[in-house]
Amino acid sequence: MSKKIQNTPGSSKKSIIQRLGGQNVVVLLIVLALLAFFSITSPNFRKYSTILSILDYSYYITLIAIGVTFPLITGGVDLSIGTGLICYSLVGGYLVVYQGWPVWLGMIICVLAGAVIGLLNGILIGIMNLPPFLATLCTMMMTRGLGSISSKGLGIPWPTAGTEGGWFRTIFKLNIGDLKLPLGFLWILLLVALMSFVLNHTKTGRYIIAVGCNKEATRLSGINIKTVYIKAYIISGIFAGLASIAYSAIFASVYPGTGAGFELEGIGGAIIGGVSMTGGVGSITGTLLGVFIICILKTGLPFIGLQANWQQIITGIVLITAVLIDLNRNKKKLIR
Amino acid sequence: MGDLILTMKGIDKTFPGVHALDNVDFELYRGEVHALMGENGAGKSTLMKVLTGIYKKDSGTITYDGNVVEFTSPREAQQAGIVIVHQELNFLGHLTVAQNIFIGREYMKGKKIDDARMIEEAAKLFQRMHVNIDPTEKMSNLTVGKQQMCEIAKAISHDAKIIVFDEPTAALTETEVEELFDIIRDLKKKDIGIIYITHRMDEVKVITDRVSVMRDGAYVGTLISKDSTKNDIINLMVGRVIYEDPKTKSMVPEGAPVVLKVENLNAGRFVQNVSFELRKGEILGFAGLMGSGRTETARAIFGADPKDSGDIYINGNKVDIKSPKDAVNNGIGYLSEDRKRYGIVVQRDVAENSTMACLDNFINGIFIDKKKEDSETAKYVESLAIKTPSVDQLVVDLSGGNQQKVVLTKWLVRNCDILIFDEPTRGIDVGAKSDIYKLMNELVKEGKSIIMISSELPEVLRMSDRIVVMCEGRKSGELSIEEATQEKIMHLATMGN
Amino acid sequence: MSKKLLSLILCIVMVASLLAGCGGTSSTPAQSSAPPASSKPADPAPEAKPADDEELNFAIIVKSYQSTYWLAAVKGAQEQMKIKGVNATFNGPNSESDIADQVQMFNDAINSKPDGIGLAACDPSAMLDALQAAKEAGIPVIAFDSGIPDAPAGSVLATASTDNYKAGVTAAEGIWTALESRVKNASGKIRIGVVNQDATSESITSRGLGFIDKIFELCKAAGKSPAVVGNDYYVGKAKDKGNEGSADVIIEVRVPSQTTTELCATEASAILNQSDTIGVFGSNQVAAEGILTANQNLGVLGSTDDKVIAVGFDAGSIIKAAVKDGTMYGAVTQSPLKMGEVTIDLLIAAAKGEPVSDVDTGGAWYNKDNMEDPSIAPNLYD
Repeated sequence: MSKKIQNTPGSSKKSIIQRLGGQNVVVLLIVLALLAFFSITSPNFRKYSTILSILDYSYYITLIAIGVTFPLITGGVDLSIGTGLICYSLVGGYLVVYQGWPVWLGMIICVLAGAVIGLLNGILIGIMNLPPFLATLCTMMMTRGLGSISSKGLGIPWPTAGTEGGWFRTIFKLNIGDLKLPLGFLWILLLVALMSFVLNHTKTGRYIIAVGCNKEATRLSGINIKTVYIKAYIISGIFAGLASIAYSAIFASVYPGTGAGFELEGIGGAIIGGVSMTGGVGSITGTLLGVFIICILKTGLPFIGLQANWQQIITGIVLITAVLIDLNRNKKKLIR
Repeated sequence: MGDLILTMKGIDKTFPGVHALDNVDFELYRGEVHALMGENGAGKSTLMKVLTGIYKKDSGTITYDGNVVEFTSPREAQQAGIVIVHQELNFLGHLTVAQNIFIGREYMKGKKIDDARMIEEAAKLFQRMHVNIDPTEKMSNLTVGKQQMCEIAKAISHDAKIIVFDEPTAALTETEVEELFDIIRDLKKKDIGIIYITHRMDEVKVITDRVSVMRDGAYVGTLISKDSTKNDIINLMVGRVIYEDPKTKSMVPEGAPVVLKVENLNAGRFVQNVSFELRKGEILGFAGLMGSGRTETARAIFGADPKDSGDIYINGNKVDIKSPKDAVNNGIGYLSEDRKRYGIVVQRDVAENSTMACLDNFINGIFIDKKKEDSETAKYVESLAIKTPSVDQLVVDLSGGNQQKVVLTKWLVRNCDILIFDEPTRGIDVGAKSDIYKLMNELVKEGKSIIMISSELPEVLRMSDRIVVMCEGRKSGELSIEEATQEKIMHLATMGN
Repeated sequence: MSKKLLSLILCIVMVASLLAGCGGTSSTPAQSSAPPASSKPADPAPEAKPADDEELNFAIIVKSYQSTYWLAAVKGAQEQMKIKGVNATFNGPNSESDIADQVQMFNDAINSKPDGIGLAACDPSAMLDALQAAKEAGIPVIAFDSGIPDAPAGSVLATASTDNYKAGVTAAEGIWTALESRVKNASGKIRIGVVNQDATSESITSRGLGFIDKIFELCKAAGKSPAVVGNDYYVGKAKDKGNEGSADVIIEVRVPSQTTTELCATEASAILNQSDTIGVFGSNQVAAEGILTANQNLGVLGSTDDKVIAVGFDAGSIIKAAVKDGTMYGAVTQSPLKMGEVTIDLLIAAAKGEPVSDVDTGGAWYNKDNMEDPSIAPNLYD
């Protein structure tokens, strides 16, 4: 009947990454390799407290990375998540510490603030058609200033562990007697599972991927792409809000003017984990693994005695490598 | 054929600077295949976009299934049962076939998308179409032909009452075209009305019932397909008969030197040990089926793709071409088959696109001499009859045929001696085709040499002095124009299957 | 409007907001960017009319009026005002990054023709023109908390600030009270860590250096061979860096790439994780808080002989709580109260035409025993 023409991509060679089982597997292997490396070169690394440190450090980055995966998949980006998370923490923290609001309410404010900025981003990008880089750069600056204003330039110390409001820290770090449990990791895993489901099995996620593949085709299929963009950025905003809670819970105080640079770690983690900058590709588990590489590097490098600036250089190299691999993968697709 | 399902009356639409639709009428019966033809820029696509809710008409009425309708979005039209399969493939590469087909109307299990059901339904669809495609395959991994089949499947799955096909066979092989026609005959039996936009005259006779022709935004007339000749249709389209006979004799002067020699070229699966020569003043036709490796060969010669091995000689000297820059420096120009992706920079204007390949000639100190750019371009706009309000017009706003002319201008401005034309007249109206043929002949008279890759046999027979036939990556044969016939070419093109 | 135009406008807005609001320094009130308070020779006062005491009016502008550190400075000034019988108005921008606001306030102050202006500059380099204007108007300026190194000659007559090097020395002396016997009796190698701010902030690097040099000296006097290792800048600037190979006391200096809590925590972690660490110093509030954060997972800090002795800088509720319960052995606080007092004194002297010179308002050691003392407590802001 029909003559079957072979379904093959232009290049018949499978890339090394594909042969090894896909990007997720490769990233996982790198994570394990890094852990092994640091454990061997620095005996102090092998302690339980180190794992706790790595996890502590990872919560807020993982959360913003999960959130920003969605705008990235649409082919956009959200630069406001870094200064944003500090801003939301300052806003919520100010209300808790200086206005006496209960901590749970402060936490809700954090998430709401994130959602509001996310909505703003979504409107700028989805409805007014501004380039995502530009729009989120603006909200990045806005949140930086906003945070400063809300806290009146002060650093905000959220309630410490022993005090009345300090219970929220136990969401992430639960101490039962002498046993220290990184409870936060459990929530992260749950959120990863949840957002994975949202991305791959709900209309919201499906259309976000679709828009990232081909905006015009999606539009012509009758889908309202404006709402797709808005949803993607609101998700990013909400997760920045969650990240602000995580950051406040782990670290002693939150200071205005900080946070610039977190977004690059979040975005970097997502890209290492397989999200493509051109859109349409990405997985939440991949993002989680990618973030872990960054966290392990950041925690481990000081252990082997490297001074801070070298740490930055190495992290930068890892990121560049990930981006190059991503670009190379897309180049292969174009040759057909 | 059943009763009237669609009547479009007095449709008018103006864009800034262009009166795209001028009081156009069109009607369609149930179970009818109605061809819509016209030069590029005639308004066929625009008319269909008005029908399917992508554009809003300025005036006129559309009566569909007995009711006057006004669609404000593609979704509305889809839900009403009017679907369009676009000329430019619009699919979502990273999603699977099934996910693409049901995008926007997914089967749900509560909040969860029922991917399993979609795969099932897609498989059933392909079975009905007698087409062999795996619904779980990622769209970007399919060949162009298969991707088009998926688009068609998507349209059919909409339970449509009217399906518009916009140049559906452009990227299909002969077999796939037959499959498409079978599907269309099937649809006819189901009383679905089909609007069939095409440039291919031979298809009109085979599959359509009536032909309506548009020219310059206006409706010209309707013919009964089986009672009309090609000339009749062309007459309506351009108002003149331009049909010419195939070339009988090679125009290459005796003893012409070899300007390009390719020896044992290898580049992946699609280019295996290809060798040939091109002589000065010659038009060398490259015939073959889709996937035979003609484009890949051209790209390898041009340095656009890396080659595994092989030698290239220009005017007797061995050259090392590692990138398009090397090729251009050696005087080779390449007009690719997908001009939007590879030929033009759509966001820039005509003048910029034209001078892109040799901007050095237009530099004045450190600045670009815009005046010189514009005047050079204007010359070509005139000689190629490019339909554009000015040289500052953005290329994206031109019709396909005119965009092609802009690409050609780019290489002519560069003064390339060896030109590779890859499907130069695909998606171009008859009038512009004729212009391009004339141009090609003029170019070779001036002493340039052309390799012309084409899937249209009449075109190959009409223009070539010699024909190289490729089949599945290999050169399967060579024919002089004197001995070539459609049958002989087809024989060589399908050898070894 | 066209996308291009909108993008252009947004860019302009962004650039404008950058210029107006971006203070750059992630400083809290405690992290002043004062240069080392080198004593400048006393400048002769400009042609200030010798005014009579009671009618002296001054304008005092703080870095950020709402912060508790500055509230303490203001309080100190106000007390002194009453004692000396002079008047002063107080003003300050909303946050330390509102540089343009502060410049405006300063210029307004000039127009009100006070007998002198006290200034804690958000951004010293932004004040230069305004200082020149003050000089030409014959108004003496006293800087406090942060010096203004490039001030036009004769515009700023003196600076009242913390001598950061000395403050570092104070911290070293404080930690020595807990470590002295452990160092003397140690049989193997021991380690004392320092978490510092980057070399770009001169004032705080001198804190670190003060600590490093003093500890080095104390260890040597106790018969040990110390060595300074780690961040190249500090190792290079230390008075004596010793010989790492043969040392039995390692003074390890770590500097995060940015002074943020999480990065300080990571560096502190690296120090605290080493089994031979007996003490650690965080030279500003963020570093000290970073040490405390790192301790959350390790639990090694305390005030007894089996624990690691941690010493911090400045205050803030987290450090205060840690000092109170002994997790942090002690800390060094700056003296905003004294700073305010001294500024008034200097202003009075300058307005009268008397010679003035820089004053070190000093850093005071505090721990859980003396935290509540009336001389210390008011300096410990939240």
